[in-house]
Amino acid sequence: MTMIDPFLLAIIIIAVLSLCGLTVGLAVMCGSFVYMLVKGHDPSLATESMLQGLFNGYTLLAIPLFILAADIMNIGSLSDRLMRFAQALVGRFRGGLGYVDILASVIFSGMSGSAVADAVGMGRITINMMLKSGKYTASYAGAIVAATATIGPIIPPSIPMVLYALISDQSIGFLFLAGVIPGLLMAIAMAVVNYVQAVRRDYPIDDSVPLRELPKLTFQALPALMMPVILLGGIYGGVMSPTEAAAVAALYALIVSTVLYRSVSFVQFYEALLNSARSTAAVGVLIAGALTFDYVIAREQVAVTLSVWIDGMELGPMAFLLVVNLLLLALGCILDAGAILLIVVPLLVPAAAALGIDLVHFGVVVVVNGMIGLVTPPYGLLLFIVANITKEPVSRIVRDTMPFVLSLIVALGIITFWPDMVLWLPRQFGYGG
Amino acid sequence: MTRLMHLRAWASQRADNVLALLLFSMFATFILQILFRRVLGWSVGWTVEWVAIAWLWGILFGFAFVVREVDVIRLDILYVALPRSLQRVCDVVTGLTCAAIFAITLPASWDYIDFMARERTAFLRWPFHLVFSVYLAFAVSVILRSLVTAWRGLTGTMPLPATGPNAESHDHD
Repeated sequence: MTMIDPFLLAIIIIAVLSLCGLTVGLAVMCGSFVYMLVKGHDPSLATESMLQGLFNGYTLLAIPLFILAADIMNIGSLSDRLMRFAQALVGRFRGGLGYVDILASVIFSGMSGSAVADAVGMGRITINMMLKSGKYTASYAGAIVAATATIGPIIPPSIPMVLYALISDQSIGFLFLAGVIPGLLMAIAMAVVNYVQAVRRDYPIDDSVPLRELPKLTFQALPALMMPVILLGGIYGGVMSPTEAAAVAALYALIVSTVLYRSVSFVQFYEALLNSARSTAAVGVLIAGALTFDYVIAREQVAVTLSVWIDGMELGPMAFLLVVNLLLLALGCILDAGAILLIVVPLLVPAAAALGIDLVHFGVVVVVNGMIGLVTPPYGLLLFIVANITKEPVSRIVRDTMPFVLSLIVALGIITFWPDMVLWLPRQFGYGG
Repeated sequence: MTRLMHLRAWASQRADNVLALLLFSMFATFILQILFRRVLGWSVGWTVEWVAIAWLWGILFGFAFVVREVDVIRLDILYVALPRSLQRVCDVVTGLTCAAIFAITLPASWDYIDFMARERTAFLRWPFHLVFSVYLAFAVSVILRSLVTAWRGLTGTMPLPATGPNAESHDHD
């Protein structure tokens, strides 16, 4: 038990510094360094763990490239064309633009691995369309956009799944596949909420695009619609690795936007590069912090201690998953999804494995939790983004988002307690779990 | 004084250029790698190494010289709710603690990086201490920025911005 003290000290330092406003990544590095100093270990072991981890983290390179791909799509008119297509397809019902947003989010999810990119790009267009129609309240438009953006990293590709693959040693390919059905399930859950709200608030039927225009709109959107096919076909056809697929996605978005749609200037491309690189550095420091902490966790055998402790409570796998869901939903209210994945989830993975929980299934569960955390107050990034776009107070957005959050939690329940549904698709592609 | 400001703005823009270039080179190298490996069937190793270096440098150099306070991931839910006087206390505590910890561990990190001079990367044959030297720039920048935060807390100038409205830069989530 004497071993726990430096570890406890490290945890306290991380918590205090983070709460006092220090960047989480730096706070974690500070905690790890203090642990080494108090233990009398050479602190450069933490530096080594970070530098070697980053240098050898080849799969992580998918992250900046997926961010870049999404940023390029957002400056080009790709998103607009997708919206027009979605509008022609599902815009003709009561509350039609709500369904348009859901469908567009599902399609966009197949190209981007980021919920925030989804809300900033597609979301902005949807919100403008809903406000222009004059039939939806700004807070409802913001709420549905925030809620549907959570699908982005569930349907592949997915940046959070890449992070989870790093900490759990699972295959990115199988994780991506495992997200497809849960993502569609979330879309259905939100369509139900949109239906109920549209009836309750008596939203009128939107002006629909005539069906005869559908072929033309489909053709115009075709290059955008082909992106998921190229990406997933490339990965599962064995043509390229997920990391290479991320580069192809960025190249494809660039070619389509510049050559086909002629909508991206050099300056815009530079801005997209810089913005993506900034984002990468911000999340990269969090990863770097997690890598230093990795050493501490391994040294202390924290995961083993935790497994033994959980074993002692004689929780079954289902009860454990329930506890994990409650814990992560609570943490999601105050923490960034990336921080939860990199700092908290590594502690839970060995316990999950010891209980015989499939780690690909577990990955989908924790990522869905993290995404719900993006729409739960007080710290919900997506809420801030749509509040910023709609100029509505966050409190009003929160009120309208709640029904969607409840539906997402129901979907999470199904995803958690029905592993066979999640794992069905990966198994079709040879997953043995 | 204005000349100094100009110089700072100029340096900051050049740092932006370098960071954008690093990401672009990573992107372009990946495309070349796919071309070499998948289309031409050549085996290449340097591409893997270069993208790893660009990634490492992109993160540490980017955080040191380009990333703004609004871009970083912070758990500021408590911080933003505090009155300004307590925020200043927080700034002083975090600034001094962080600067001290990075300063104390800097010599050991220096030794490790210096030690790595004897190893070279597998394909490009670059000595590892050059590849890893970016950590030193990162650590020094963290120390200086932490001291500035502490100083601002002490003198009561320039509060840290809240992350809320700038959540858009978190497009990794």
